[in-house]
Amino acid sequence: MTPAYATFGEVEAERRVASAPLSHVSIELGHLYMEDFQAGPERLREQFRHVAPWAETMRASWRARVPGGRARVSTCFLIDDYFSRFSTPSELVPMVLEAAAECDLTIDYLARESACAEADGVKLARLVEDRLVTDPPPGTDGSRPPVTETGWLCNGARSPYGGAVQVAMGSAQGWEPPAQNAKRRHSIFVDVELWDSDSRGRTWSCPFLAAVWQLLRLGMIRNDGELPVRPTPRGPSFPASWDELPAVVQLNPAAAPFSAYTTMSVLSPRFLPVELAVRTILSQVFVDAAVLRQVADRSGGEGIPLPDELVDRISYIFLGA
Amino acid sequence: MLVMGEVRTGLLQNSGEIPESLCQGVLGLLSGERVRISRRPIVYAVSPDQLTGVDCRLASAARARVRGVGTVLSRASVTGGRVLQGSSHIQVARAEADHRLSWSHYLARPGVVEVFGKMRVPDLADGFADSGAWNDCLDLGSVSERFMDAVQASPLLDRKAPFRSARTRLRWVAVAEEPGREGPGIRFTLGRDRVRTLRLVLPDGFTPDVVDFCEDLALHDWLLTTLLVIVERARVGTATRAEVTAKLAPAVDHLLHLWMPAARLDDGFAPLWEALERRPGFSRQWQSLVARVRDQIAINTLALLREAGGW
Amino acid sequence: MLVFAISDKGGTGRSVTSSNIVYRRALQGSDVCYLDFDFGSPTAGAIFSVSSAARGTIQGGMHGYFEGRIADPHRIDIWAETDREGLRAKPPGAGQMVLFPGDEGGGEFSTVSEEMLRRCVRLFTRLEEEFDLCLVDLSAGRSFAAQMALAATARLPGVPFRWLVFHRWTRQHIIAAHGLVRGRQGLLAAGVEHGHDEETLADHIRFVRTAVLEPDAAELEGLRETQKAWLNECDRELRELARRYGVGRTSMLGKIPLDPVLQWREQLISDEDVLSSQIANAETVAAFDDLAKKIVDDSAWEAL
Ligand SMILES: Nc1ncnc2c1ncn2[C@@H]1O[C@H](COP(=O)(O)OP(=O)(O)OP(=O)(O)O)[C@@H](O)[C@H]1O
Ligand SMILES: [Mg+2]
Repeated sequence: MTPAYATFGEVEAERRVASAPLSHVSIELGHLYMEDFQAGPERLREQFRHVAPWAETMRASWRARVPGGRARVSTCFLIDDYFSRFSTPSELVPMVLEAAAECDLTIDYLARESACAEADGVKLARLVEDRLVTDPPPGTDGSRPPVTETGWLCNGARSPYGGAVQVAMGSAQGWEPPAQNAKRRHSIFVDVELWDSDSRGRTWSCPFLAAVWQLLRLGMIRNDGELPVRPTPRGPSFPASWDELPAVVQLNPAAAPFSAYTTMSVLSPRFLPVELAVRTILSQVFVDAAVLRQVADRSGGEGIPLPDELVDRISYIFLGA
Repeated sequence: MLVMGEVRTGLLQNSGEIPESLCQGVLGLLSGERVRISRRPIVYAVSPDQLTGVDCRLASAARARVRGVGTVLSRASVTGGRVLQGSSHIQVARAEADHRLSWSHYLARPGVVEVFGKMRVPDLADGFADSGAWNDCLDLGSVSERFMDAVQASPLLDRKAPFRSARTRLRWVAVAEEPGREGPGIRFTLGRDRVRTLRLVLPDGFTPDVVDFCEDLALHDWLLTTLLVIVERARVGTATRAEVTAKLAPAVDHLLHLWMPAARLDDGFAPLWEALERRPGFSRQWQSLVARVRDQIAINTLALLREAGGW
Repeated sequence: MLVFAISDKGGTGRSVTSSNIVYRRALQGSDVCYLDFDFGSPTAGAIFSVSSAARGTIQGGMHGYFEGRIADPHRIDIWAETDREGLRAKPPGAGQMVLFPGDEGGGEFSTVSEEMLRRCVRLFTRLEEEFDLCLVDLSAGRSFAAQMALAATARLPGVPFRWLVFHRWTRQHIIAAHGLVRGRQGLLAAGVEHGHDEETLADHIRFVRTAVLEPDAAELEGLRETQKAWLNECDRELRELARRYGVGRTSMLGKIPLDPVLQWREQLISDEDVLSSQIANAETVAAFDDLAKKIVDDSAWEAL
């Protein structure tokens, strides 16, 4: 039978959405920037020592929640190769693995930060940017295009600025404060820079890539219905250049799936503002309803109800030194 | 249950109909998401769903202040490679909280607008249906038009449309049938400024097919409206035969084959279409216009041939 | 098609001539609209005898639209809303005739922001879908409105546009019209700055002479021979001047004779004004009619 004679149902039939294998929780053991690397391996070991008990607590709490104690927990580690490039995978990765092992931590998956911008030819950051649905200030009735400042995203209404359209001999406007849309009496107004650009093109901001990272870990991104990133098993050695390292490398063959119903990150408090920005972004990303349904069906089937809102599936532990 | 929407319909700004292969490029408003196409009985391509956030008053017939927050669900579609539609709708629900929640709450409910306080369905339905001239109230039509604009701005279109035509507006409201209120049915009204209103009372509640139905009706109403203008402008009987033929030709080239009421619809909607066929009698009017166009062209061609000495 | 009407000096007859062109074009069967971009003085409604918009509209016009206060600018169906009895019914076969007025009390803008420009592009694209001819009446001289028009058309490569530069038949007006097009920060220079190609843009600009009194006109019948000779000499000099300044016959799209009715009142001239009441001259209507045809006639716009 040729498809030319298909019935009216064909429109719906053409939309297929792949489903991702899912753990219960994805624990981020750390995030390595140039400055951490420069501080030497001892800094890394210290970080892992701090993280280890919290990771164990998380594991235990999921074991208690899941029938039969069969919790699927995976761990991951992110290395920045986007904002600054340092060392090489062949030199750095073994060092990280060794430091983790010394603290009895297993890193299941290793990811490159630049993969959040683009992985295997798919522009993930663009995909997410296209799915931003801006938080409308009161009075947004749909009659005008959403107010946006190119490259920025906020959680309310900005102060009117001097550059607003003025007509000659019209009345002048004074200063007005910005306002948070969901404020309870007082505002906490957040305005996040998503990217900037220069002659070499666009550079995504750290919070924006971190938001993409969270979405990847939650298994929420699709490209033409397909999973854009699939973890690649590690080879016998690590390459000499970051570009040759797959977006996400599976280090532990026995690991639970990379993506999970929920995520947990153990972070230094210096990341607090970044994560506030991440939540501001994530609460304005519209995820494919079919994907949300898949995940809800799966988790419901396991007897694990998930909160409707993505930001409620993300948790943190901020650890001071 | 209360669902409301607005469909805007216009001519795709291209000299000819666009082939199916161009639909992805023209309607691909969202990266990483494919345009869906069905081919029979007429090529129909629809963009991925899009969301727009709103926080504003909803029109109320009693002029009550009703505030709603949520997201509008929209899409753009092209039928027969020729007619462009922008369509938006919302389902109105009562908010559980008495204050605005974090935006993620609303994003988790695509296409739902939550109203604070008591929700009086007939009041909101009436308010929306005649809110044409109201300021500051939810404006689904403008949302729909912006998605049309995005399509019309595609560099893949040559912008050389064969004739000018105005966009039409169809505003629709659907409520559930309830004991003691009016029974299932449909009411279609032609208003000023190319505004039409459609009221539906549905026995089985809301399904996405309702949106398809409203879009289909809007499409055929636009075809009829546009053909009426073309015929009126042709000045049959006053202008010269060659002029009349030249004015009518675009209708033959671009419109006449597009008339296929209810072609893509679920059978459940057949009774609604039949009701519209009885009154106002869409197909009857269309067929008589088509016959007129065809007759004119035939007569004029014959006359021209005769003048040219061919007969 | 977008047609921009501009003049260097005020009071040249830009609005009255443009309005009559739009009216003639509608009678010829095209769907037309008139956009009042004379933001500092939005009085186009008066020419069409729409009293509710004689000084601009209070229902949200061009100003409200560009400031982002309203989604769609108020539109007036002139056939339905004009106060002139004789115009009230759209003749069979005539096209739509719509006025987009400015806001009552609206003023000149202090800048063209990116937002305004985007709104302008959106407006032009939408109107282009619906109307055969969109006539945009800019204000006199170099204005933000003109800058916006140049910038918007540079972003709309698929939308055909033309410029009409109006001037009277005097020394000062000829020199001014030339300056507006080719002078410092004139249309060409500003156009290039916004991304237009200078030569292509120049090919899309034509001049229109308004309120012209020909030396052999009937009005001058009673003049003495010496006066006639002097007038002839002046006219010859002006023609020479116009030629030197690139405002001569080849770059002229049309000229409108001086008309007694227009001298007294800014209005549309209907056929009735010529045929039954005979207050206006047939030549004036013929000139409007001719101009209305030439605006859309590609052969009148072939490269010079
Ligand atoms: N062909 C004509 N014959 C006689 N008078 C004319 C003619 N054309 C225009 N006028 C008159 O010239 C005056 C100025 O015309 P109009 O208001 O159209 O000019 P404008 O260039 O639009 O001016 P502004 O810059 O103030 O907008 C009006 O009184 C008008 O009636
Ligand atoms: Mg004027």
